Amino acid sequence: MKQYWLQRLGAAIGLLLAVSALTFGAMNLLGDPLFNILGPTAASTTPEDLEIIAAAEAEYNLDDPLPVRYVKWASAFVTGDFGVQFSSDGQPPVSDLIKERLPRTLMLLIMAQTMAIMVAVPWALLAASKADKAVDKISTITAFLFIAVPNVGLAVILKYLFALKFSIFPLIYNASDPFWSRVWQMMLPAISLALPAAAIYQRLLRTDLITTLQEDYILTARSKGVSKRNVLFKHALRPSLFSFITIVGITTGALLGGSLIVEQVFIIPGLGSAIVEAILREDFPVVLAIVMIVTAAFVMINIIVDLIYSLIDPRVRTE
Amino acid sequence: MSAATDDIAETRGAASETVKANAEGAAVKRTLGIGFWIALIWLGIVFFAAAFAPWLPFKDPDANYIQRGERPPYPPSMAHPFGTDQDARDILARTAFGGRVSLTVGLVAIAMGMFFGGLMGILAGYFRGWWDRIFSFIFIILLSFPSLVLAILITSLLERSLRTISLTLGILTIAPVGRVARATTISFTEREFVLAARTLGAKNGRIIIRELLPNVVIPMSALALLGMGVAVVAEAGLAFLGLSVEKGPTWGKVILTGAGSRDLQKYPWIAIIPIVVLFFTVLALNFAGDRIRSYFDAKETAL
Amino acid sequence: MSKTAETPLLELDDLKTHFRTERGLVRAVDGVTLSLKRGESLGVVGESGSGKTVLSRSIMGLLPSSTVNHGSVKFAGREILGLSAKQMRHLWGAEMSMVFQNPLNSLNPLMKIGKQITEPLRLHLNMDKATATATAVQLLRDVRIPEPERRLSQYPHELSGGMRQRVMISIALACGPTLLFADEPTTALDVTVQAQILDLIGEQRRDRNMSVILVTHDLGVVAGHTDQIAVMYGGKLVEYAPTKTLFADMKMPYTKSLMRSIPKLVDPSHSRLATIPGRPPDLVNPPPGCNFAPRCLYAQPKCHVEEPPLVQANDPSHKYACWYPVGTPEFEKRDAELQATGYRADDVMAVS
Repeated sequence: MKQYWLQRLGAAIGLLLAVSALTFGAMNLLGDPLFNILGPTAASTTPEDLEIIAAAEAEYNLDDPLPVRYVKWASAFVTGDFGVQFSSDGQPPVSDLIKERLPRTLMLLIMAQTMAIMVAVPWALLAASKADKAVDKISTITAFLFIAVPNVGLAVILKYLFALKFSIFPLIYNASDPFWSRVWQMMLPAISLALPAAAIYQRLLRTDLITTLQEDYILTARSKGVSKRNVLFKHALRPSLFSFITIVGITTGALLGGSLIVEQVFIIPGLGSAIVEAILREDFPVVLAIVMIVTAAFVMINIIVDLIYSLIDPRVRTE
Repeated sequence: MSAATDDIAETRGAASETVKANAEGAAVKRTLGIGFWIALIWLGIVFFAAAFAPWLPFKDPDANYIQRGERPPYPPSMAHPFGTDQDARDILARTAFGGRVSLTVGLVAIAMGMFFGGLMGILAGYFRGWWDRIFSFIFIILLSFPSLVLAILITSLLERSLRTISLTLGILTIAPVGRVARATTISFTEREFVLAARTLGAKNGRIIIRELLPNVVIPMSALALLGMGVAVVAEAGLAFLGLSVEKGPTWGKVILTGAGSRDLQKYPWIAIIPIVVLFFTVLALNFAGDRIRSYFDAKETAL
Repeated sequence: MSKTAETPLLELDDLKTHFRTERGLVRAVDGVTLSLKRGESLGVVGESGSGKTVLSRSIMGLLPSSTVNHGSVKFAGREILGLSAKQMRHLWGAEMSMVFQNPLNSLNPLMKIGKQITEPLRLHLNMDKATATATAVQLLRDVRIPEPERRLSQYPHELSGGMRQRVMISIALACGPTLLFADEPTTALDVTVQAQILDLIGEQRRDRNMSVILVTHDLGVVAGHTDQIAVMYGGKLVEYAPTKTLFADMKMPYTKSLMRSIPKLVDPSHSRLATIPGRPPDLVNPPPGCNFAPRCLYAQPKCHVEEPPLVQANDPSHKYACWYPVGTPEFEKRDAELQATGYRADDVMAVS
């Protein structure tokens, strides 16, 4: 068992290295770091500017070959030094920006996932228990609609309906408000992320539940006199959760992407809007740092999904 | 299926090829259904409007049709069926011309994904060994990035033209398509008819083209329609973030124009109409892809 | 004994169970009449597709609600055919229970053994956790599982096939049912374990005065462990007799060929395995006349046209459905013909 986890961890680290190298290389080869740091001055040829350019080159090690710069950047990165924001006044460290923005995106994601799971599981149980009847058919159509709707569309429409036309939810996210106000302000954005995810989860769980319900041990449970509801909850649910857990983990990545859009629609100053602003300002340390953080999180989540698997299925545990 | 229900299934004798099982195991007829054709009709309309936009009687998407006495934006009317935006640009025209970009991006993305992803997947699945290791590694790397993040990373580095956006989304499609192609290839390679072809002395290339390809293409085609929906949505997302093509309207850009709180409240048609068009198009693509997939699936799982 | 001891525990009267499918109505069980007294055991024998499994599920009422049932099923004098699942639930596990074929698939892989046994105890007998656990341990002891306490916290995949089947039996016996169905209980097990399981079932039957219905395709299994045998073919009851009578005096050629297809230890090595040629009948459009006629080597013209009714033999408890059973002149004549063409008497039913 231990060997398996060590291998997994090793593979994950290798993956992160590959991803970071790729990203770093792409940004440095395709972008122009000098331009990022100095702006238009980079192209100038006046003697004073040339001095500035030389100084910048020295400070940012731009003379060194790419692999060396990568190693320097990577070693700084893992210690929490993400470089500085080139395009902001005073060039504050990137880590400040991350610390400020990350909690909001985290709140959004956690709320969205929680809501999605809380909606999907009962929904799937209902659909599976009434499979192919009217309720199930309606639920399938609804799920299909929610999966097809694009994030941008859903967010805008929800904003229009529930924040503007019927002012149920507040329009603005105010970072300095107390915690619970912020949660309420985050509700609509979280809902617009949660609904398509819930639909995906529900479809998958429903299918797995129906498959599980055809297993022999379900018949055994029924033949013992167990009520239909208990057969669902106590016998059918747990074995059906495997794909569900995997997809929840995988969808976290999609939710991350979706949060970029949702943050724009609802004007939430989170990680998503940070990266969009950074791209428009061509501030690549910020872009690089956020991409790395997001990807690392994604990889970690997949490992956690594996871990949860082994907790649920005793057969995996004893191998 | 369990052994016990096999026994019951035998006594039911439902061995028809066109019969599929529903949840209780009772037989259900398999058909593409009327929804499929409705979806196809919608897609036909949208594609037609987008492809022939310059020659159809749409207004100029970039021109400002300011009316005297009233400030834009103008709500839907006879002159402007979809209304106009804040700069008095006709939204119907912008939607039609925007479709050119959005759908082109979708098509190119999926074509790239199918071609490269399919090629890599089939090679990986058929030959295994180093092919598999290298290509699977590439897939995993590509899949390690949340897709939108990867898209904005690449677009941030290149100039924002139709070509690069399509390329970016194409790269995004390679891994999901490749993985399906690989898995399907593996499952078919392990079946008898490939083994039979091999023992008859057929060369690898021949096997791949004549035996594997037809079978792998089917699940990939269903995936193509679904993938196109994803690509179109991704482009809309990018455009909404201001990261899509610089010139010309796209669906995402039009939505962005109308998404500000004040604009959305007072002039909802600017954002909502393109959203509806986008939604129905993606819905149609998803639905058609899904129907194709279940149509061909049924044959596989005949009792 | 009181009067209730004379009323049969289970009475089937022309039970028909049909499934509606795309191709038409599948007559899985097409008119079965039999009865079973308390403490008796009945073997239901037939090939795959004969309807024997559907019969047992149908009696218990475990089939989906889209099934069409006709006839009558009386349990302890009470009509249970057509009762809803909600009503049947009170009987399931408490009065009647079933042991299924493949214990690996029939036990919940993610639930501890102990929980699976105590579930019906707590449900039907309202036991608290401690009592239920103690009862579970005793049940495991009854079915001869070593270290019963330890087993409670184990999972099904940690036990051997034979032990799993014993666990299934203990679950079925937990609440002391009066009727136990055993659906191919030994098919998935090693031969050495088969006998043990059958003996165990028999022992429990006697100890608890419980009725047992043993469903199998193997005549050998029912030979030593049943009081009556019902042979099914194509959804119909083709022969029905007390066990001893059946083996002594088989009437229906189908039963005889089932008998012959059992490989015997006394056969010389490399003897050709006797089999029954052909395939089971189409249950949507059964052939006219006797269901078995197309495959019967003794079939006469009448067999293909008219369906033989169930009639009594000399012994009134022996019923069979055949126009020209063993012993009739037509049968003997055909038998002689087959032997004359060079087939040995014992492999007269072999594939030609």
